[in-house]
Amino acid sequence: MTEPLTLEAVDRDGALQEALEEIAGSTRTAFLKKAALGGGTLALGGLLAGGFPALAKAQSPAQDAQILNFALLLEYLEADFYTQSVSKGALSGEPLRFARVVGAHERAHVAFLRNALGAAARPKPAFNFMGATETQVKFLATAIVFEDTGVGAYNGAGPMLTKPVLAAAATIVGVEGEHAGWVRNIALKNPAPQAFDPLLSVATVTKRVSPFIAS
Amino acid sequence: MSELLTLEELDTDGAIREAADKVKGDTRASFFGKAVIAGGAFAGGAALLGGLAESAEGATATDIEILNFALTLEYLELEFYARALARPTALDGQTRRFAQVVRSHEQAHVNAIKGVLGRAAVAKPTFDFKGTTENAAAFRKTAAVLERTGVRAYEGQAPRIEATAILKAALAIHTVEARHSAWIRDIIGVNPAPVAFEKPLTMSQVLSAVAATGFIVSQPRFTG
Repeated sequence: MTEPLTLEAVDRDGALQEALEEIAGSTRTAFLKKAALGGGTLALGGLLAGGFPALAKAQSPAQDAQILNFALLLEYLEADFYTQSVSKGALSGEPLRFARVVGAHERAHVAFLRNALGAAARPKPAFNFMGATETQVKFLATAIVFEDTGVGAYNGAGPMLTKPVLAAAATIVGVEGEHAGWVRNIALKNPAPQAFDPLLSVATVTKRVSPFIAS
Repeated sequence: MSELLTLEELDTDGAIREAADKVKGDTRASFFGKAVIAGGAFAGGAALLGGLAESAEGATATDIEILNFALTLEYLELEFYARALARPTALDGQTRRFAQVVRSHEQAHVNAIKGVLGRAAVAKPTFDFKGTTENAAAFRKTAAVLERTGVRAYEGQAPRIEATAILKAALAIHTVEARHSAWIRDIIGVNPAPVAFEKPLTMSQVLSAVAATGFIVSQPRFTG
């Protein structure tokens, strides 16, 4: 495992730092502290159930860490998918541009979550994309599933997060929504198919992504 | 609703007064105008209570303030799309399809927020879009600004919302605005997802930005 990345390494232009300071003021430190505390608790509980958290309505730093680790799994999935898709060479034109831009975002999200979770951060699993990285048509269909699922997963978890962590997650979920709208437009599907995005449960998200997790 | 009740009778825990003070103070004064508040603080208070009792159970004074802020932004977007579409020749192709789909979403958002607020809902302002609804290029550029501002406005407010039901609605709307933003940016040909972390805007930042457009020409009032 590599050294945990610092916020500065992830946030080259300082935008994230600035955003976090703006939203949370002094609470960013509290957030990182809480996440670290939660991580301690998680180390015990996180080994069961393959890391798919059973969430309670009550918010707590321990639950924040569970949710962030679940988000990290989704970000690993997306980041790996785009990285592999670009390197396979099957993409061109706007799909390639999408994969490059969005891949960089997902890698930044991974680094951010790993940094927040510290030692509690789960390791990256092995993924099996079942050929979806190898043709443009399959790539686009799969990217739509991943991005829509990511949006729904963050939205579903939002009410269960403590407020400072919700503020941090909100900086990511809007970007996932932009990715979803973009890839749908590329694929000639309605970029915004509903007036209200669904809030997905952990069970639904797990069902959608489990087939791609090889280990 | 009786007009004869005093604020004190209605506002047993001071929440409404607190909301009215907040409105009067920093956040909405520059936008909604102090005259409205001076003449209408009590009317607003009565309406808040009506809205709470009818359909926004669990909503706090802060939540009501946030919902009325969101409602104003949704009115602005809705009216912008409705006016652009009302001109048969202004938009065509994918720009027109975007406007049609997004207008229906903004209408749904307005309906949902008004439903929660009930009589506490601010009325729709009067708008002047300065010609930006009259040709496709100006429309697209303005839509892109409005949508991304909407994304960052919801992002800034979500962590402030106290009632879970209202937070859920705000989250469900936030990412739809993000989809709109990416869609119109893709139509224009600019990066639909320009940053890895979207930066939130505070209520006063959004209100200043909206005020600077001059799109809102009259003050909304509480409908109650």
